[in-house]
Amino acid sequence: MSLGDATPTDSDVRAAFRRATAAVSGRSAGLVAPLLLFDLLVFVVPFGYLVRISLTEQATAQAFVEGTWSLDGYRFIAESATIRREFVFTLGFAAVVTALAVGIGLVYAYAMWRAEGPLRVALVAGVLVSMFTAIVVKLFAAVLVFSPNGVLNAALVGSGVIAAPLTLVNNVPGAVIAQLYIVVPYAVLATFSVLATVDESLVEAARDLGASRPRAFLAVVLPHTVPGLLVAGVIAFTWSVGSYAAPLLLGSGSERTVGIEVADLLLQEFDWSAAAALAVVVTTTVIAALTLAYLLMRRQGGASAEVAADG
Amino acid sequence: MAESGADAGAEDAAPAPAIGTASTRPLAARLAELSGTIVFRIAYLAVFAFLLAPFVVVAGTSLDASGAVVFPPSGVSLRWYDTLLSSPDWIRAARNSLIVAGGTTMVSTTLGVGAALGLRNVDSWPATVVTGIALVPLLVPGVVLGVALLVFFSQLGLQQQIPTIVAAHSLWATPLTFSVMRATFARYDWRLRDAALNLGASRPRAFLEVVVPNVRAGLLAAACIAFVVSLQEFVMSLFLSGRETRTIPVMAWNSLRNSLDPLVSVTSTLLVVAVLLVVLAVGVTAGLERIARDT
Repeated sequence: MSLGDATPTDSDVRAAFRRATAAVSGRSAGLVAPLLLFDLLVFVVPFGYLVRISLTEQATAQAFVEGTWSLDGYRFIAESATIRREFVFTLGFAAVVTALAVGIGLVYAYAMWRAEGPLRVALVAGVLVSMFTAIVVKLFAAVLVFSPNGVLNAALVGSGVIAAPLTLVNNVPGAVIAQLYIVVPYAVLATFSVLATVDESLVEAARDLGASRPRAFLAVVLPHTVPGLLVAGVIAFTWSVGSYAAPLLLGSGSERTVGIEVADLLLQEFDWSAAAALAVVVTTTVIAALTLAYLLMRRQGGASAEVAADG
Repeated sequence: MAESGADAGAEDAAPAPAIGTASTRPLAARLAELSGTIVFRIAYLAVFAFLLAPFVVVAGTSLDASGAVVFPPSGVSLRWYDTLLSSPDWIRAARNSLIVAGGTTMVSTTLGVGAALGLRNVDSWPATVVTGIALVPLLVPGVVLGVALLVFFSQLGLQQQIPTIVAAHSLWATPLTFSVMRATFARYDWRLRDAALNLGASRPRAFLEVVVPNVRAGLLAAACIAFVVSLQEFVMSLFLSGRETRTIPVMAWNSLRNSLDPLVSVTSTLLVVAVLLVVLAVGVTAGLERIARDT
C-alpha cells in the first residue's frame, strides 16, 4: 500500500488500480458514513459547543453570556484553591485505583488463562456478569457489603478476626473500593485478551528448563502481557479521572473529584462557563494520558514484535 | 504433534537435564513454590468473591420480609416485589429503560454493522482513523459527556427526551458493536457471498440470505452488548432524563442518595437476573470466551 509499491512508468496500471480502489471505497464510504455522521452530530458538535461555552463570560444572573469571548471560566478554576485541591485528589485517587486495578486484573486474568474446564467457565462468567451489571447495582451492593454493619464487617467481627468494625465507606478506601468495582472487570478483560494470544506451552517449556513458577511467569508470560496491562491501566486511569458516582456514593464530602465538581458547577452553581472550562480541562487531562500511553504502547509494540520474531 | 511426541520419547530415554527439574529442586524451593501457588489461588478466588458476593447480598436483601435492608434476610418474602409491581414510578422507569435499550440496540447495531462491513477489506489508515473516531466517546468521562450533551441539547429544546438518551447511549454502544462485528466479519468466509453474487443474487439479498445466517452469533452478541450497555448506563441518563423519562438506574440512584430502599434491592436483583440471562444466551450461542476477547 505504500507509495514505493508503484512503478512510475506503469501509469496505465496505476490509473486502473486507482479506479478500482475508488469504486470499492465509494461503497465502503457509504457504509461507514452513517457512523461518522452520527459521531459528528452527537459527539463532535456538542463537544465543540461545550468548548465554546467554556470561552464565554461568567455571569451571575444567567448560565453564561451568549456571544462573548473570555477566559473567565479557566481563570476561575485556576484561581480556586478548592478546585486545585480536588484536582490533586482526583489524580492521586486515579493513580491508586489504576495500580490496584492493573494488579488485580493481572492476577485474575492469569488465573482465567491457566484454568481449565468448569473453573475457567466460572471465572470468565464471573467477570462478564460483573462487567455488564449496572454501576448503580454494584455501588449499592458495595454499600451493603462494606458498611460498618455490613456483611463483611459482620463476618470479620463475628469470627473474631477483628474487634471493631473497619470503616470502609464514607472515606477514601470506600471511594477506591467502589471505583474498583467499575474498572476491575475491564482491566481483567484487557489483560486476558492479550494473554489469550500467548502460547501456553511457553510456560511448560520454561518449567521443563527448570524455571520455578514465579520465574516462568516473570520471565516468559509478563513481557508478553505488557500491552494488555497498558490498556488496562489506560482504561482504569481515564475512567477514574472522570469518576463521579463511586466517590459520590461511597466517599464523604472530602472525597470530591473534579467530575463531581463539574456537575455541581453546572446544576447547583449554574455557572456554565466554569463548568464547561473544567470539563474541557478534565478531558484534556484524559487525552494527554491516552497520548502518553499510546506512545509507550508503540514502543512496547515494537519491542514485543522483536521478541515474536526471535521466538 | 509428531515433533512433541518425539521430544517426549527423547525425555523418557535420557535422564533429566542438569539444570534441575521439579524433582531435583531442593525441598525449600518446592515449599516456597507451593505456598506461592496457594497465595495465588487465594488471591484470585478472593477477587472472584469480590466481584460476585455483592449480587448474593443484593438478592438476599430483596427477599427480606422486614422494611429494613438487612442481610441475611430475617424472613423470606416477596412482598417488595409486589410493592414494586404496584408502583407506577418504577413501572414507568422500567418501560423507559426497555425503550431506550431497544432504541440503542437498533441504532448502534445498524451503525456498527454498516461501518464494519464498509471497512472489511480495509486494513490501512482509513480503518485506523474510523476505529479511532468511533472509540473516542468511550474514553471521555461520562460526566463530561453528560454535561456536554445536556448543554447542547437543551439549547435545541431536546433535553429530557427519550431519543436524546438513545443517542447518548449509542455513543458508547456503537464502538462495541463495531469492534464485535469487525472481528465477526474477519472470521467469515466471504467466498460464500461472492458465490451468491455470481449466481445472480443482488447485494442486499446475498447479504441477508447468505452472510447474515452465518454471522448470527456475532450479530446477537453485538446486539446484546448494546442492549446491556444501555440498560446499565446511568451517569449520562442522570443528566439527560427528566421526571417522565427516568430509567431504572436513575430511579435507583435517586432513591439510594436518600436512603437504603428495599425497592432498590428488588430492581437491582431484577437487573442482575436480566443481565445473567443475556450473558447466558450469548454464552450459549457465541461462546463466553469470544465475548471476553472481542469486546
